[in-house]
Formats: sequence, structure tokens, C-alpha cells
Amino acid sequence: MSYGHRRKQYRGADEYDNDRRREVYDTPEQKLRKSIINLGEVDPVQELPRLAKQIREQVPLSVPAISEGFRIGVTEQPFKIPFYAALLRLLYDPDPDTPDQSSSTDASPLGRQILEDYWKGFQAFLDKLAWREIRLCIHFFAHLTVAKLISPDSMFEVLKAFTAVLEEFGASHGRAMKAAQCAAEGLMMSGSAIKQDPATDVSQIIDAISSYIDSVTVSKTLVQPIVRLYGESPLVEHADELLDSALAALKVLNESDFAQTADNIPQPYADFPALPDEPFDLPSILVPPEVIELDGLTTDTGEDAQVKKEEWPQYFVRLFDADITPDPTTPVGYALRSGILDLIDIFEVNRKECARLLLEFPKWQLPGTFKPRPGAPPQEPLPGKDWQLESTIIEAALGSVFLLPESAHKPVYYIALITELCKLSPTTVGPAVGKSIRKLYSFLADGLDVEVAHRFADWFSVHMSNFGFQWVWREWVPDISLSIGHPKRAFMRRAIEFEIRLSYYDRILKTLPEPMQAADAYVMPEEGPGPDYEYDDPAKPYYEAAQSVLNLMRGRTKAEDVVSHLDSLKNTLSETADGDVNVNAVLRSIAVQSLLNIGSRSFSHFLNAIERYLPLLRNLASGSIASNTGGSNVEARMDILDAVSSFWKRSKNMVVIVFDKLMQYQIVDPTDVVAWTFTHGGVHPAAGEKTTFNAFQWDVLKGALDKANGRVMIARRKVTALRKEEDDNAARVKASDSATASMEVDAEAKPAVMPAAESPALSTALKAFTTLTREQKAALSRTLDGFVSYLAAEDRLSSLAGDVITEKAWQNRANWDQPEWNTWETWCWYRHFSRTYSPYLRNYVNTLADAALTKVSSSSADPAADLFRKTWNIATGQEV
Amino acid sequence: MAHVVTPLDQPSNYKDSQARVDRQKQNELLARSTTLYIGNLSFFTTEEQIYEIFSKCTSPEEGGGIKRIIMGLDRNTRTPCGFCFVEYYTHSEALACLRYVSGTKLDERIIRCDLDLGYREGRQFGRGKSGGQVRDEHRQDYDPGRGGWGAQAQRLEIERRREVEERYADAPDGPGAIAGGGGDWKEAGTADNPLKRARSPDDEGDSGRTGARPRLDDAGHDARM
Repeated sequence: MSYGHRRKQYRGADEYDNDRRREVYDTPEQKLRKSIINLGEVDPVQELPRLAKQIREQVPLSVPAISEGFRIGVTEQPFKIPFYAALLRLLYDPDPDTPDQSSSTDASPLGRQILEDYWKGFQAFLDKLAWREIRLCIHFFAHLTVAKLISPDSMFEVLKAFTAVLEEFGASHGRAMKAAQCAAEGLMMSGSAIKQDPATDVSQIIDAISSYIDSVTVSKTLVQPIVRLYGESPLVEHADELLDSALAALKVLNESDFAQTADNIPQPYADFPALPDEPFDLPSILVPPEVIELDGLTTDTGEDAQVKKEEWPQYFVRLFDADITPDPTTPVGYALRSGILDLIDIFEVNRKECARLLLEFPKWQLPGTFKPRPGAPPQEPLPGKDWQLESTIIEAALGSVFLLPESAHKPVYYIALITELCKLSPTTVGPAVGKSIRKLYSFLADGLDVEVAHRFADWFSVHMSNFGFQWVWREWVPDISLSIGHPKRAFMRRAIEFEIRLSYYDRILKTLPEPMQAADAYVMPEEGPGPDYEYDDPAKPYYEAAQSVLNLMRGRTKAEDVVSHLDSLKNTLSETADGDVNVNAVLRSIAVQSLLNIGSRSFSHFLNAIERYLPLLRNLASGSIASNTGGSNVEARMDILDAVSSFWKRSKNMVVIVFDKLMQYQIVDPTDVVAWTFTHGGVHPAAGEKTTFNAFQWDVLKGALDKANGRVMIARRKVTALRKEEDDNAARVKASDSATASMEVDAEAKPAVMPAAESPALSTALKAFTTLTREQKAALSRTLDGFVSYLAAEDRLSSLAGDVITEKAWQNRANWDQPEWNTWETWCWYRHFSRTYSPYLRNYVNTLADAALTKVSSSSADPAADLFRKTWNIATGQEV
Repeated sequence: MAHVVTPLDQPSNYKDSQARVDRQKQNELLARSTTLYIGNLSFFTTEEQIYEIFSKCTSPEEGGGIKRIIMGLDRNTRTPCGFCFVEYYTHSEALACLRYVSGTKLDERIIRCDLDLGYREGRQFGRGKSGGQVRDEHRQDYDPGRGGWGAQAQRLEIERRREVEERYADAPDGPGAIAGGGGDWKEAGTADNPLKRARSPDDEGDSGRTGARPRLDDAGHDARM
């Protein structure tokens, strides 16, 4: 897969010349392929005859090289597909320069030869299940069907091969969705030709998609960007599900017998005269089953530990009205949005080029689709079209960011892409971004999912950090009067917190209008981020003791000596302390806070401190100082985590970072961190028990679960690598065995053959794998347990858990106060946990259900328990 | 997907003049490097700001994450001099930064990322004559974020400067100056003696494989505990 461009990568002095030579001496085949790929740099329609001529004049003519050019063009520049179809159509014409050659009668037209070769490439994509490439080839075939190069009935059969996937037993949603997309998009583009053929019945395809969509209704309720905790129907405003949109668009097209197609997509081949040749019959295909490489690794209780990413229905947030951006449930709206989404996906490798191509997108569409660029000659607006390009692009990009449970690429990709778009055309993209922010902000009051709100704040802060933090905060000033728990206020505070992390306190403070700077506005934190050493004041309790520990650490005293100092401190404190003081907890707090204090200057300082005092931390974590019993001590580890959270209370991100490293250095386990976030959750112990779950707790929880899951992933890779190594060795031994045996030399040199025995390295890796999957299961189980105890247990901690989920309560949300909003948020995070970790939950469904779900209230009239179980069942793919 | 555009996650043609590897070896190392060089930082940018933006490219569920950050310091003054290394646990995270973060702003400056051979002792210091980076020796423009400031500079920045100047005053050099960031998960030591971690057979497995790898000066940057 490496062609010209790739080679440029290491253009250093010693390879530079070499490179240049290669570029200059592109083979004729490479040159031709480049010309095909570059079709339309100026005007695709004008260029077609010239390019066709160039292809014909190629000596020697290489059909595979030409068809590869087509394949690259179609799968990497889908916006050119209609023009590639036209090019291929031109290549069916007899060569104008060699008229009346008798040889042309026996050889099939060049276009036909290319198409036959192209098909082989498609078959290869199909075998690999390269879905995007498959789908884009289908687009190409669909255009060729309309251009009468492919027979409609054979195209119809190909499309039906994809709807057959929808009827497979146990097809994953990801597979079914991609197959349905192929069938739907192929039919949208070729329906006008297919429907004319009496041998076909397009309603078969439409019905198949429709009944598949009906079968996944229930899973939709868990991935909508706008949350409704009540009701069964997944109908939702402000968002469109991908397959729903496709189906709606198809139905509209079918009603008019696909007469609209020509108004929706370019068909530059439409005016070409009919061909005398018989059209090409696409061979019949079978979509191959998904191949899952089984490594046979199971957990100690026999579950298959392999995790397969689940795919969910895809809801795209709708931010603009249909006169600003096209409605994706209409044929043209669907075509435009999926065209933009494909561009965003394909050009993920180069966001700058992607931005440029997106802004050039109208060039490949029918004239009048988008408003002309400022400064371009005015055009007659087409009724029902004339959309805003930039808003359409931003809507599609943000829709991709906000897909649940996660976006296809990391959100930061789309964020950086939007930044590039703004840099390329600030005056047109900027306003679209501003309007999107306002619209999303307004959704916060209407149930925007907490995870979407989280990503919204993330995007907002990174975007602003690229554009001088210029946001008109003034317009949100009135919202300061909302309840402090209102999502809009939570958003403002979080967005500001994220901005501060990327910049610094005083810089961000300056960007806010005065009413928002005030502490009671609850927008800015009261103080800038920084450490809070509890023992920095002689007036505070344990000042002396803490200073003595701190001074030892500052002087880089050895860990063992600090440990023995702590032991002697323990005796002193026990003698003087009041009866109800937990001396062990005090000592842990002193030790951990002092250690964090010497490491508080930077992340590196912290790492150095932690590495220097690892033995001390291990000692603390095992409870050795606290008690004489060794081994596990959960209380000790909770004290350590508490000390961290107290020390960094003004910098929540530092809490997450320190926890991450404490897990990395195996001072605490992920399960400890999970337990901590539910029971302590960053509130001061004096503030009472934690009864709801917020975004900070989610960050901590996610850090812990990802750590547990990541370790299993590493362990799995290690086992696989070692097994492969062993297989290779065994094969080599076998080979050399047979070699020595045949030569009959020195029998002693024969290595011992160990067929069944594992190497020590492999046994260790397998043992580690078992331990880590157990840990993974424990962390997930503890999480589920935590949510049960908050929301669904008989004696649940969130007393409002059953109240906020009714329709009546939701309609009354204008009167909600902090407890209601916090409880609602807790539900949302439970939902997000379920869908995000659904693949893991499915693996362990029985163990987890046994451990935690039994505590869910079994009372028959408990709506909270019902909702909890329903969510769980959807996430784990069980009957609801 | 490389036929139509050049991917952004290619290493640049930079060749570390002090690295004792030839270009082919260097390319091999870069092809699995987990370390990034970050350039054009403001002298005031903190590791926490760096962590914040670079954590957006991590894949912890794949076993990744930020392993450590090494701030580039002026050799003489021990103050940040506008570059750093960010080391991840996986190669793909470093590539993601080249695609998504390089060329965007941090602390209101456009930063540049490049794949790096990995930290080696001494590389945390600037190589310019005056102790900072070479590029700042020859720079003609006025750059308030990189030491080129005067009376018109913001008072806020003076405040930040004081903090910055103190922060690394204690920065040591020599072996062990830079923390490792934590290695892979290992079987814990025996419960009765938590202080002493037995060397697990796992370690032997590891070192056995390291031995099989080509020995290189630059492969030794994995400073574990």
C-alpha cells in the first residue's frame, strides 16, 4: 500500500536524492494512476475526455493498473464517484482515433475490461469485510447501473446479498448496520434503474431494512443524545439515527419511483448515448461471515475474556433547521451528510487536507446545493436547497463527536478538524461554530446526555484555547440564577475548569464578565488550582508531626528511615491523642500528603517523589504502619486515596493523575479506586456519605476501569506473543530435528522436545492473565454494586432515584433543585457505564448479575428497580 | 489511505546529532517509538498543561497512557526553555498526537510534535550556547513566551515567571534524575514481606527477551524503578 507519497517520509540528507530520483522516474503506470486519482482538479466534466484519451494512449495498456487507479479514486475520494462512472462510460466508446478497426469487434471495450478487473478488487474488499471500501464500491456500481453499464437485476441481487445479512441469526449490530447502509445507499443511487426492471422488487430491500430497524428499537433508548428516562418509545427530538434516516430517505425516493435522484446527486453520464453492448452482469456474492480470531483464553471461571466492541445505533445531533442544513431524513440530505461523514472518516490521517476538501465539497455536488462562497458570483438560489456549507460540515463533525457510547475516532480528532476549518475560513466557519455552541447549550436544559455534555465542555475548552478564549460569556449571565445543580451551570463551571487546565487561572478569569467572576456565581473556582497541604500552619493539629516527616522527605531520607520515623510517631501520637482519633489514618494522611507536597511542583516532581518512596507507599498501603497484620488493607488504601483527594482538592485533574500513577505503581488496585469513588467520591468525609454520582466521579471511575481493562489487554497480547514465539520455536526444532535425523549426526545435539509443557515465561503470563481478569471482574462488579446502592437497592442512597425518572417529574424540571439534578445525573452516568462497558459486562453477565443485581429492590412497584434492570438488560443484550 | 494525501503521522527528517545510530536504525526505532518531542512551547507552560492536552490522545483501555513528561530545561538556569518530551506507553498514542495535536495551540502557541528516539540522560537540557535551545540563540524576533520580553510584558507573566524559576531549581542531573513513570503490571510480592518485592519469573522472561533484541544505546531509556 505504499506509493509515491509515503516515500517522502524520511527525507533526510542521505535519502533525499534517492527519493527525488524515484519521484522523477514515476513509471508510466504510476503516472496514469496519478492522473486518474487527480481527476477534476479544475473541472471534472471538462477533464473527462482528455483523461479517457490519456488512458487509451497508454503503452503498453495495463488494465489492472487502470482499474487500480479507479479503485483508489472510488474508495479514497468518494465525492468523485459519479465522475469515475462517467469516465468508465467513456472508455466503453470505441477508440475515436482508430476508427473501423476490425479488432475492436472481437475484443470487449476497454471500459468493460476495466470493470471486470475492478470487480476482482471489490471481491477482495468483500473477503476482508472492509466495509467502507465495500460500500463505496457499491456506490460506484450503482452509478454504473444508472449509466447502463451494469444490469439492474444483477445490481439488485448484489444489494439483496447485503439485506440477507440482516436476517442472519445473531449478526452483530455493527455488521448489520454496515450491510444495511450498503443496501440502502446502493438502492438510493441506482433505484431509478432497478425499479424499471420488472424482474426486481425494491420493496424487498426496503422492507428488510425496515424490519431490522424495528428489531433494534430497544437498544436505541440507551444511546440517544437527548435523555428520556421515562417511556418506551425511542422517538427523540434534535437527533437522527443513521439507519432511520436512510430508511426515511429511501421511502421518499421510492414513492416517486426514484425520479428525484437526478436532483440529489450528480449524474454526469446521464446524457451519454445508449450503448449497443449488453450490460455487465455483476456476479452473485455472499457477504462472508465475521471471522473472530479465538485465542481460547478464558478467565479462571471459564468466561471467554475476549472483548468485541459493540456497535450501537448511531444518533447524530441535529443543530440547525432544514433551511440552514439539509435534513438527513430526505434523500438529498442523507446523501450530503453521508458524503461529508465519509470524507471526515477517510481523511482522518490528515486533518488539514480534510478541512480543505470539506470546504471544496460543493464543487462535487449539483450547482445550487450550497450557498455560493462570499465573493463568488451570485447564483439563483434553488428552492429547497441553498444550504450553508459550513453549518452542514460542523453539524456532521459534532454529530460524530457526540456519538454514544463513543465516537469512531478520538474526539480530539474532530476538535482539531474544526480548528483547521476555522483557520481556513474564519469568517464563514466561525459563525457556524458559535451557533452550534449556543444550540448545544440550549439542549442542556432539555436533557442533553451527561457524557455528551462532558464532550461538549471538552470541545468548547480546547476550541477556545485555540482561539484566544474569546467567547461571549455575557449572554449566559442570566443563567446564573438557575439552580446550582442545573446542567447549564454545571457546564459553565466545567468548561471554565477545563479552560484553566489548558491555560491558567488569571488568564481565564479575565475572559469572564464581572457577574461571572464573583464567587457566588459558581462559574470560576474560588482559587486557582494548586496543592493544599493540610499541615502547613503551626495552628493546625499534627503540625509538628507532619513537619518532621516532611523535613525527612525534603532531605531525601531513605524510605526505610521514614517508615521507622512513622512508627515512632505512631507511638507518640497514640499516647497523646484523644480516644476517638484514628491515629493510623492520621499517619497515612501525614505521610501521603507530605510525599505529595515534595512532589507538588510538577508531574515529574511527583513521579520522582513516588519512585523514591515506593517502599513507604507499599508499606502504607498494606496497612503495616497501621497494624501489625500484613497483606491487604482496604481501609489503608482508602486513607491514601482520601489524602490525595484532600491534597489536590483544588485540582481535580491532579487527583485523577495521581490515582492513575498509584495504580500504575501498584500501590492501589483499580477496584480500590472504584470503591473510593462510590463511597468517598471526593467529598470531605465530614460532609457525609456520597449519595449521587457526578462527572468527577466518572473520570475517576473511568480511569480505574480502563486501567483494569488495559492490563488484561496487555496480558493477552503477551500471552499471544509468547505462544507464537513458542510455536515458532517448536517448528524450528522440528525442522532441525528432521534435518539432523536425516543426516544422522551427533544425537546429543538434538534439543529436547517439549510438546505440551509451557515455558516458564508463558506460565507466568498465563497466571498474570488469570489474576488480571479476576481484578477486572472485581472492578466491574464493584462498579455495578455502587450504582445499585445509589439507585436501585432497597435502602438506596439516592432517595429521589424513583422520583426523577417519571415523565411528570421531568416536565416539572424547571423547579428542580440540586438533589433532583444530581440524581438525574447519577442515572445518566449509570446508563453511560452500561453502554460504554457493555462488551465487558456481556462477558461477565452471570457473575456480575449474581453479585450485584440480587441487591436490586425486588419490590413489584419500584420504578427505579425496573429502570435499573431494563438498562442492564439492554446493555448486556438480554431480553428487556 | 495514503494515496491521495500524506498522513500527518510521519516522522520529520530531524536527525539527532548526538544519537549514535544510523538513519536506517533510527527509522526502525521511530517506527515503534512511544516518545514525542514537543517544540515551540512557551517557557511558562507547565507539565500539567502539557498533560492535559496530551492525555486527549491516550488509549488507556488498550494499556496506554502518559508514562512521563520530561521538561526541557536551560542547562545553566534550570528553567524551562521551550521544549519537552512526552512519553506514552504505546506507539499508536504518539502517532495520534502527530495527527491531532501537532500544529494546534497550547498556552496560545502553536506547538510542534515529532516522533523521538526516546529520552536519554542529558537530553532534558538545552544545547544552545547560553543553556537554552539552539533555536533561541539565533532568533531575531520578539517572543514574550520564550524569554524575549521587556517592560511591556504583562505583570501577570512576571508573576508566573517567578513560579517557573523556582519550580525546577532542585532539578538534579545524572542517572536517576528522571522518573520512569511506572512499568507494566507485575505480580505482587509475597504478603508477609510487602517491603521486599521478590523478583518474579516474569522479570526473567522480560530480560531474556531484551537480550534477544539488538542492543542499542537508545533502547535503555526505560528507567524502571
